Amino acid sequence: MAEFSWLSRSPLEHALVVGAHGARDIEPGISLTEIRNFDLIQVMARRGKAAELANATKARFGMAAPDLPKAVSASDATLIWSGPDQFLVLSKGGKQTMDILSQAFSQSASLSDQSHARALISVSGTKARAMLAKLSSIDLHPMAFPIDAAAATSIDHTSVNLWRGNDRGDGQAVFNLLVFATFAESLWHTMLDAAAEYGVDIRLSEELG
Amino acid sequence: MRIVCPFCGERELGEFTYLGDAKPVRPAANASEDEVFDYVYLRDNVAGETSEHWYHAGGCRAWLKITRNTLTHEISSVEPAAGVGAAKVGA
Repeated sequence: MAEFSWLSRSPLEHALVVGAHGARDIEPGISLTEIRNFDLIQVMARRGKAAELANATKARFGMAAPDLPKAVSASDATLIWSGPDQFLVLSKGGKQTMDILSQAFSQSASLSDQSHARALISVSGTKARAMLAKLSSIDLHPMAFPIDAAAATSIDHTSVNLWRGNDRGDGQAVFNLLVFATFAESLWHTMLDAAAEYGVDIRLSEELG
Repeated sequence: MRIVCPFCGERELGEFTYLGDAKPVRPAANASEDEVFDYVYLRDNVAGETSEHWYHAGGCRAWLKITRNTLTHEISSVEPAAGVGAAKVGA
């Protein structure tokens, strides 16, 4: 039998160029960071098993999964609401992989490994809201979209999971975006176009914010 | 037009896809040809309140049952369609 060797590569490998983009000679108003090498598992309750899933989630993470559009932080994972009776588990370093979670949720949920199926982009900076307002109809005002708020929505006709993480050290809000891998490059270019006038600082990271 | 998704909140029309009339009920397996023909093809062209299925494709991907007035586009109720999530609503 033929031996296959699978190499995981970021869907933004070609599009992303670390450094400055757009307007120069000003302090960049937008920071765009791609976060690579994360574990992402979609968890969906089986029919009639929502209560069992809630119990299994508490047992596994020490907290309930959000039943409203929110993203909550457990000790080594972020649980992101993605729809009724379903959520995403985002983590790093193999702590919440398919093998581990499929045991925890074997009685209550169907799981799907999305680790290599999505790109994770973090948007921050003084002009982050102004840039996202060009692309999204979600109200991102701090009163309407506080830390931990989440939304399953569309940006530029592309489905995304959007949530607000903890603020940066300088107090700027951070918006995280999960986008389907095959749409990531298109959305990336759209965001660069929207952000160019404010000046962009493009980075790569291996750390979840 | 905006639709208030019971899960996501108020969203623009572009996030939703229209499926159609929510009224027809699938006839029993031994139903007559007329009943099946009615179920598959015949639709009321209502001027007023109708019941419709919409899909929140650009959001939480839940099916919704919406009561809409075709004269004013006013939406008077939005609820999860049968079987949305794990709750087994009405199914």
